[in-house]
Amino acid sequence: MFSIDQYAYSNRMRAVHPGERFAFAILTMVICLAFPSTVTQLAILLLMAGVVILWAGIPFRFYLKLMSLPFSFLVVGVVTIAVSLSRNPEPTLQGITVWGVTIGVTDQDLRVAVELFFKSLGAVSCLYFLSLTTPVLEIIAVLKKLRIPVLFIELMSLVYRFIFVLMETADRIYTAQSSRCGYATIKNSYLSMGQLASNLFIKSYHRSRMLFTALESRCYTGELKVLEPHYTVSKVNILIIVVIDLALVVLALNTGGGFVG
Amino acid sequence: MAELILEAQDVEFEYPDGTKALKGVSLSIEKGKKIAILGSNGAGKSTLFLHFNGILRPKRGMVRFAGQDVRYNHSSLMELRKKVGIVFQDPDSQLFSASVLQEISFGPLNLGLTEEQVLQRVQQAMAATGITELQDKPTHALSYGQKKRVSIADILAMEPMVIICDEPTAWLDPKHTIQVMELLNGISRQGTTVILSTHDVDIAYSWADYIFVMSDGRVVGEGIPERVFQDEGLLRQADLAQPWLVEIYHEFKQQGWLAKGVPVPRTKGELLELLKRDTPGQALVVSG
Ligand SMILES: Nc1ncnc2c1ncn2[C@@H]1O[C@H](COP(=O)(O)OP(=O)(O)OP(=O)(O)O)[C@@H](O)[C@H]1O
Ligand SMILES: [Mg+2]
Repeated sequence: MFSIDQYAYSNRMRAVHPGERFAFAILTMVICLAFPSTVTQLAILLLMAGVVILWAGIPFRFYLKLMSLPFSFLVVGVVTIAVSLSRNPEPTLQGITVWGVTIGVTDQDLRVAVELFFKSLGAVSCLYFLSLTTPVLEIIAVLKKLRIPVLFIELMSLVYRFIFVLMETADRIYTAQSSRCGYATIKNSYLSMGQLASNLFIKSYHRSRMLFTALESRCYTGELKVLEPHYTVSKVNILIIVVIDLALVVLALNTGGGFVG
Repeated sequence: MAELILEAQDVEFEYPDGTKALKGVSLSIEKGKKIAILGSNGAGKSTLFLHFNGILRPKRGMVRFAGQDVRYNHSSLMELRKKVGIVFQDPDSQLFSASVLQEISFGPLNLGLTEEQVLQRVQQAMAATGITELQDKPTHALSYGQKKRVSIADILAMEPMVIICDEPTAWLDPKHTIQVMELLNGISRQGTTVILSTHDVDIAYSWADYIFVMSDGRVVGEGIPERVFQDEGLLRQADLAQPWLVEIYHEFKQQGWLAKGVPVPRTKGELLELLKRDTPGQALVVSG
């Protein structure tokens, strides 16, 4: 997660308007989810990988590692959909029967499973594109432009800032504990873990009080007003996005029947 | 008499849990001066600071800003907080935004300035604190010293009349300590009153125009640095050490390397100057 954050700030697409990146990711994801076309989903998967690796300059190996995270989840999920266990199988079920129980796949289940697999992977790749190229701050700026309620936006930005403070605090407590053998045995570990959690809670509570005091002393009146950065909209980029997404829609409509079939 | 900017008169304060943090603090701070407040842990420095911009309200006694009693209604407090800024000890509990630029813009925006004015102030504050190159970095990627400078820029951008820094050099390495102290010197030269708390007697001695010593919720001594640091009884009472310059000055005087009646030097440079000037000192320099 922390490397994703680092890449988000240092990738080569920083100069592109965050709204354009946001729109590209979301539009493409909608196409990916809306059409039952496995070819389109594969195309999206490749497209996003290409953009992230070639344009944004994210290392190939890192991207592969990231994609392998949902991959293993998906495989497990998809297998449970595809494979059926039954005592009195329907005639479409093809598989092996052991002690009266049939394990196998039906044609239809298999099709659903494959479609779900590529759909999820495609959608994930769109979200990865967004989070690898766009810092949370810029996503927040876009959401603000979209008139998302202020409360939600402020919460999101505070949570984002304090995740890191919390991690640092936890890290410090952990180091202090382990330097005094806090994690030497299993029993110690449980004890230390509990103390770490309660300490973290108390410290966070204390810190939130301090933060409020500090904000108050800078004339806080209930709204976190900050300067919004200005970005320049690029007509070329918008054109590229429109062309790519239109092409994907055309592809999806022409292969709407799905891949397996 | 010089103009007073902040005054506390018999201020008493008790936290909700019953801790008596201030037990009758009285002090007056002159406009435009560099003030250091010394005192061991728990002496009540931070608590006193929170009284200076109305975050805390004294249980008994009075706080005055520019000769006027502080009033605790919303609009008076906003006015006061525009003029008295506090840089908190721990930057991680002051910095709320993940963007350096947005963080610094928060204070000036609350003053009701236009966006251009705010941007200009933010840029000035960033230039003064030397963090212009950090503006595109997320706050959590900064080092401690960098965060500290952002927290100072936060307040600088509001252009207050008084800047209060709670232990600005705690946990800083020597290089960044010097940088921050120079920054505070620069701010002072612009005419702003600078107040800081510290445990570092050497810094207080060389930097401050005037010193208050706090101990156990009271002001137990005050004066110009040369006087405060030669009062050994006071230093003992407040658990403070003597600055190395003062110690060495006494040592040298005892050895006869400094003539009688020379004033205590305030900086290392002044000490060397004294040694060169005095005849016995010259002997030392030649033979050493
Ligand atoms: N929020 C609080 N609730 C209860 N007691 C507090 C609170 N903050 C401070 N105190 C107590 O008030 C007293 C004065 O604390 P204060 O923080 O003002 O001291 P300080 O001089 O700033 O010390 P330090 O050098 O450690 O920062 C201490 O005894 C402290 O324990
Ligand atoms: Mg303190």
